[in-house]
Amino acid sequence: MIVAGCDVGSLTSKAVLMKDGRILGDAVIRSSAKPWESAEAVMQRALPENVSREDIGYCVGTGYGREKIPFVNEVVTEIACHGKGAQWLVRTARTVIDIGGQDCKVMRLDTDGTMMKFVTNDKCASGTGRFLEVMARVLGVALDELGDMSARSRNPVTFANACTVWVQADVIQHLNDGIPREDIAAGINNAMASRIAILVNAIGVERDVCMTGGVAKNNGVIAALDKLLGIRMRRIRRYDPQLVGAIGAALFAAEKAGGGVI
Amino acid sequence: MRQATREYSFDWMLWATFHAASKLKKGTEKEYRSVLNYIPYFRGIVENVLKLGEPGELFVKMCERYLDNLVHVHERGRKNAITTFCFSPTIFYAMDITPVCMEVMTAFMTLTYKRGTAEFLDYCNEVGFTETSCSSQRGSLGAYLAGVGTDIDMIITDTPGVCDTNANAFSFAAAYLNKPFFQLDMPPVLTGERSNEYHRADYRALISFLEEQTGKKLDIDRLREVLAEYEKQDELINELEDLYRLVPNPLPVPFSLFLYASRFLFAGMKECTELLESMLRSGRENAERGISGLSGGSEKLRAFFCYIDHYTQNLHLWEMLDSLGICYAGNILSRYWAPDAPYVKEFQMQEAAYTIDTATVDTMIDSLALINSRMPMVKSIRGPYDAPNMWLEDTLSLAKMYRVDFIVYNGTPGCRNTWGMLKPFARDTEKAGFPTYIMYADAFDDRVQSWEATRERFEEFLSVRGLLG
Amino acid sequence: MREALREAAVVINNSFVRSWKAGGKQIVGYTCSYVPDEIFHAAGILPYRIRGFGAEETTIGDTYFGPFICSLPKCMLQLIGQGDFDFLDGAVITPGCDSMRRLDDCWRKAGEDYPGIVPGFFFHFGVPHKCTDYTVKWFAEEIRRLIDAVEHYFSLRITEEGLKASIRVYNRGRALLEELEELRIMSEPPFSGTDELAVILAGSAVPRDEYNEMLQEFIEESRSRAGIDGKRRLMLVGSANDDVELIRLIEGDKALVVADNLCFGSRFHLDLVSEEGDPVIALAKRYLSKNECPRMYGQYRARLDILKENIQRAGVEGVILQNIRFCDLHGAENGLFERDLEATGIPCMRIEREYGPLVETGRMKMRIDAFLERIEQRKETA
Repeated sequence: MIVAGCDVGSLTSKAVLMKDGRILGDAVIRSSAKPWESAEAVMQRALPENVSREDIGYCVGTGYGREKIPFVNEVVTEIACHGKGAQWLVRTARTVIDIGGQDCKVMRLDTDGTMMKFVTNDKCASGTGRFLEVMARVLGVALDELGDMSARSRNPVTFANACTVWVQADVIQHLNDGIPREDIAAGINNAMASRIAILVNAIGVERDVCMTGGVAKNNGVIAALDKLLGIRMRRIRRYDPQLVGAIGAALFAAEKAGGGVI
Repeated sequence: MRQATREYSFDWMLWATFHAASKLKKGTEKEYRSVLNYIPYFRGIVENVLKLGEPGELFVKMCERYLDNLVHVHERGRKNAITTFCFSPTIFYAMDITPVCMEVMTAFMTLTYKRGTAEFLDYCNEVGFTETSCSSQRGSLGAYLAGVGTDIDMIITDTPGVCDTNANAFSFAAAYLNKPFFQLDMPPVLTGERSNEYHRADYRALISFLEEQTGKKLDIDRLREVLAEYEKQDELINELEDLYRLVPNPLPVPFSLFLYASRFLFAGMKECTELLESMLRSGRENAERGISGLSGGSEKLRAFFCYIDHYTQNLHLWEMLDSLGICYAGNILSRYWAPDAPYVKEFQMQEAAYTIDTATVDTMIDSLALINSRMPMVKSIRGPYDAPNMWLEDTLSLAKMYRVDFIVYNGTPGCRNTWGMLKPFARDTEKAGFPTYIMYADAFDDRVQSWEATRERFEEFLSVRGLLG
Repeated sequence: MREALREAAVVINNSFVRSWKAGGKQIVGYTCSYVPDEIFHAAGILPYRIRGFGAEETTIGDTYFGPFICSLPKCMLQLIGQGDFDFLDGAVITPGCDSMRRLDDCWRKAGEDYPGIVPGFFFHFGVPHKCTDYTVKWFAEEIRRLIDAVEHYFSLRITEEGLKASIRVYNRGRALLEELEELRIMSEPPFSGTDELAVILAGSAVPRDEYNEMLQEFIEESRSRAGIDGKRRLMLVGSANDDVELIRLIEGDKALVVADNLCFGSRFHLDLVSEEGDPVIALAKRYLSKNECPRMYGQYRARLDILKENIQRAGVEGVILQNIRFCDLHGAENGLFERDLEATGIPCMRIEREYGPLVETGRMKMRIDAFLERIEQRKETA
């Protein structure tokens, strides 16, 4: 049976189709204000050539807009889906860090995928994808360039502040002072990593650790986080880390449709 | 927490730092100057303290002594007690217990280290303690919770009824580390027989607790000795507080820090007395010559900080005031309410002051209870701020007495107590004719508002209010 | 549930308040569960627990309180400033916590700008932070001081017999609430946590004699109602909550809140006041010795034991530890609870929230759903 997972987030929507444990198609699009529209659009986009919507036997919805997707059979939270998807991609994953656009979640999984614990941060923008977005804009670089700039930095800036608003002001100050963009970018990535590290340490590090969500594509944050946690995180290379939630949802769909555990 | 931080006992590290600093002036001036090149990160704090001459040197020596005591406490067969700056350590010294004041430990680190206590602050979050709690305790609390500080024997606080975030931090530490805990509880009213009785009964319970923890009875002769030294210190402080009234103020800006630091660290012990005597010598000299204690020599403004100072690296708050020609009349931490204190006499506040009577053990314990209940903050932020003997009255009387030009509030975002009524308070002080500046910084954490931004906004206030020509 | 009861849970100036005032009687508001209602009952005054429920914004609250303050007293001051508590003839403020304590200062100062919002009787009621012989003695004196002040201001007498009679009325209510609690923890409870909170809240805003009657009625009709089955059983711990919608959000269609240690909750009715001897001492002893508030420093272990007992008794499967942003007391103690309860195998989840209009419901719901998934999974693999 073909199953699907649809992850409607506040910033991006993702969809994944699977059959017999293999991914047939996937898509990531920018979310619109209406979750049901985003869900429709991304599902269409994810369909491979010879597959139509009617071929999908079971669909699980997740993400902030999950309750508003009309065509799903059931909903599961993105925490569970990210955990599920991460462990499918990295069999040994026990600690999964998901940085979304608006919040940051860390979860601990057992060897069989049981969710042992999770912790979230929703106090403010620092430590979420929003922080990087804002800084990238101020710095005048594309979001996906920000990560690699760390590696080219000789002398990373240290941001004293934790607050997005203040860091923004500091970035502008540094630009005006002629500090190289790479050094500022490295400082931004490091600041992000240190916020995340607090959350990870709060739940306790259990190897292997991996990151999902858009921020996982930022090598600067990953490298800095590796250092702070004192371990090397497993990178998700097979697929776009942003798809992990949708993959997990599709896996749940397969299970719930009676296909058993993949 | 970085691996490096975990490997060193943080209080040992502080002691080693101050220990080295205490030797800096033992050589020649040339040797001192060349050593400064080797300590780029500590240079600022060292220079700002040692340029004040003997008082500065004694201050460093005093801090070193305090840390030496606490780092070697168990080796020397003593018990230690983690406590708050609001608690007078006199009783500890009388009972041979080594105090470890959390806020002082935090300040030692934030004044000297570039990153301050950032890692320890974050560690507190990691173990479930709330991020919103006051950074003054949280800074060193994190180290103790992580086990990178000396082993603790007991935890004592006297801030219930005065400051929740403070009392809560100690209560949390006791529960987390599973240590004996004692709280002195403060009723909302300072004076009157009911309050006196309450303070007394509570203090006696404290002494029983301490006797139980140490296995030793209170030594009456030792207590008398310590109280006698305390009284001597009162006299010195009274005179210093009188000198503050002069125009120009003959005392250098950092003297106010030295004054309250000596009290918090060594009340009742000669280390405090020595420093006060040295400050007084220096202050009297300036007073006789009619000169300002500011390094620029020219007093442009007089400031009173109604709450606390800003303790991040290098003494830069004091430096800033000094460089702007602003003399400093102290803050809430520098007043103790001795019976002959100038403000007690000036405003007829005898009931608000304590008394010291060394006749019998009972009168001595009563004196200690009173002294403790008049400690900074414990005295004045326990009841409604505009009630008699409370914060507004104290602030305005001191501001008037010291003829200050403006009042500054600086605290931490963790201070639920003051932020709960600061706006009405500032409105009242403005109405009383004192331009009042509210700083939104965190006294112990520059990550909240960088020192640069803090300084900029401070100067902006001065210029907008037309205080600095 | 009687409509009047439900109304009292969500409307500040409810029908009981209106008819009480229409009868020419007085109402005194108080802010904290440490104030003995019995005093006012004995004086023929309605004791009313001040809440911030219904505040849509905190413009007035923010004018007096600074930025780093919990939203609970801000919302209270907002309503006060808007005139929603104009029916109060008096107010008693306690140092429940620093933020709440400063409501005294801010209310009076706001009164200089908003005339008429400060009731004539305004009392700062001290409450010790520990329970020892001398603190109970002091607290008894404080209660006497409050009684004297009430007598003086309202020109009435509170006799010893009157006080004892009021204690009996309140004890009756407490015993009934205990019965309610027994129903709540049944394996198939006859009412949800949402309804339970509504009943509890009403108790803080309705004359106690009538409340006892309605409560009795509710208990009886509950006994004959079918139980709710197939739900995950949760316990709610932490900062004060007087919004039934928060419970409804947590319960959704998958869970029931069968236990709590909240201020508007089980704290409100645990332990009876002794009906023997001096009623003032009895009140002092009972109010100071109940231990569910982290303001009683140094009592963490005892509170943990109470939680564990309740978890056992109510068959709790998961504990939600919530605190209002800037609440240091619950914000810290919840961390300890999480550590120690998880260590005994009880799933916990911490949430930080704002007090006031329920916003961020999507985010909160996601966390709760994830927590319920975790509990489900645990059950399946067990």
